[in-house]
Amino acid sequence: MVRLPRFFGKKRGHRRTGSQALASLGDGAFHAVLLVAGLVFGGVLLSGLAVPEWRINHHFTPTTCTILGKGLVRRTFTEPAGGTTSTWQPCLRVRYEANGQPTEAWTQPSRTTLTSDRDEAVGRLTAWRLGQNVSGWYDPTNSATVVLERGYNWWMWLLALLLPGALLAFGGSGLMRAIRRWGRSEERSAVLSRFTDLLDPLANGPPQAADHPGVPTCDNLVNSPGTFLAYRLPIESPESWTLLGFGLFALLWNSVLTVLAIGAGLDLLGGRTDWLLLALLVPFAIVGIAGIVIFVRRLVLATAIGTTQVEIAAQPLRPGQSYELLLAHGGSGTLESLAMDLELEEQATFRQGTDTRIEKLIIWRKPIQSWRDLNLAPGTRFEARATVTIPDLAMHSFTSEHNAVRWSLVVRGTPVRWPPFVRSFPLVVFPAEATP
Amino acid sequence: MSFVAETFPSSPRVFVQFCHGDRRYNPLDTLDVHYQVDGLGDETVRAVERTVLWYTEGKGEEDLGVHFFERIVDRQRLPPEAVLEGFATRLPLSPLSYEGVIVKIRWCVRVRFFFGGGRDFVSEHEFTVGRIPPACIPATTP
Repeated sequence: MVRLPRFFGKKRGHRRTGSQALASLGDGAFHAVLLVAGLVFGGVLLSGLAVPEWRINHHFTPTTCTILGKGLVRRTFTEPAGGTTSTWQPCLRVRYEANGQPTEAWTQPSRTTLTSDRDEAVGRLTAWRLGQNVSGWYDPTNSATVVLERGYNWWMWLLALLLPGALLAFGGSGLMRAIRRWGRSEERSAVLSRFTDLLDPLANGPPQAADHPGVPTCDNLVNSPGTFLAYRLPIESPESWTLLGFGLFALLWNSVLTVLAIGAGLDLLGGRTDWLLLALLVPFAIVGIAGIVIFVRRLVLATAIGTTQVEIAAQPLRPGQSYELLLAHGGSGTLESLAMDLELEEQATFRQGTDTRIEKLIIWRKPIQSWRDLNLAPGTRFEARATVTIPDLAMHSFTSEHNAVRWSLVVRGTPVRWPPFVRSFPLVVFPAEATP
Repeated sequence: MSFVAETFPSSPRVFVQFCHGDRRYNPLDTLDVHYQVDGLGDETVRAVERTVLWYTEGKGEEDLGVHFFERIVDRQRLPPEAVLEGFATRLPLSPLSYEGVIVKIRWCVRVRFFFGGGRDFVSEHEFTVGRIPPACIPATTP
């Protein structure tokens, strides 16, 4: 029985049940199409925009032009639904000397004077007087081509080159990756090389400790000295990210709202009333104000509770070893409870359809110390020392592109009249010292 | 010494021999592996790749790290001229084998044969590095 190749297969993330060769071929073809599109688009832009502009600035010969006449060029377009629209381009009839010969030609006074408003186009011509002598540059290979303005339109360059540049980069790197993996086994493709690093620097995953593959580096944990112990641990607070998220949302939403409100206000001042815009502004304003209120509330919450700091005597940690800790909490008010735990968490990143999902699971937790009814005075901070012991047979910290095993010290507090808070301080646990 | 055979219909059979009978190793131990292949039939082996690697299993996407990789294309070292081959490598300090809940780390030896017709056949043989006990929920000790 003849079995046709499967073009579609069950898929979860990078795992496919279909043919690897067909998948690689499809991947390579897709990126090749993007690369070719980038090359074509880039070529068109280079020949239509970059080369003419560069020639005007480098090859055209300077001359003096006398304005003989003014006019408008009308371009009429037929709409698909019927009807026509016109654009107007101011132009000038000029006389100049080119290659020793008196020459006359029509030229545009500026490259950005195309408008759909005829009166506006006429108005732009009033700045030019008949008989006026102005500087001009003509094409030495075609003396009928003359311009009255030189320079580079950087914005147009930036916008025009952004898309072909992105297509070239994405298509080129994808095609190189597909070529590099073509016909190679999974293991051979995974062997790291300088070329791989250069081509796809993110493919190697997060930074790893020297001589310890898969173990995260602890550089970020030892660059801040403590006041009493060796290192102050960085904080990973989910509340801080929430606060940042609410702040960004409030800022962006209200920026859009302000722009719309200014437009509506100008319309009203001009005697026009756009009821649709005004009707849209009302719910937009409600959401904007709610965003600001939630952000301010969260900000007050974050600042009123006070800061938490944890210092540790050594980094990285090893199984079976004990380490001295210092917990410090500032702010004012009363804390019903404050507790510090040692936690081990697994984290898996996977794709479902087009979504990337992260699942975290705390698989082990050990209380280190807890306190109750703490009265915090302004200007002072609560400080307590504790000891943490990493179990003998503990798994070491692990990180790869999609999976991680993380250790952390987690501080949980319950203030009076405020919601509880959780603050996490990451640790790096190395494997136990090995003896060959 | 341990022998493991993988048999597939119309496929080669690969016998792998680990220097530790229980296939349990510690970091920095020397992993000495010998393998033997038969059942190749008339197919010509174009290349053989021997790899020692770790990979993740579980809920997340699979990650893998290659510790040792060797590709053999020399005819004198390929079957049928060479049916018994071996290699040795010193294991790294990490990662250790781990049986987590949603993240698992496994070590293995893979021997991949590339045949003349473009087909390839891979044989995978697991072993463990370190002695981390499996995680469980609810857990009291790691």
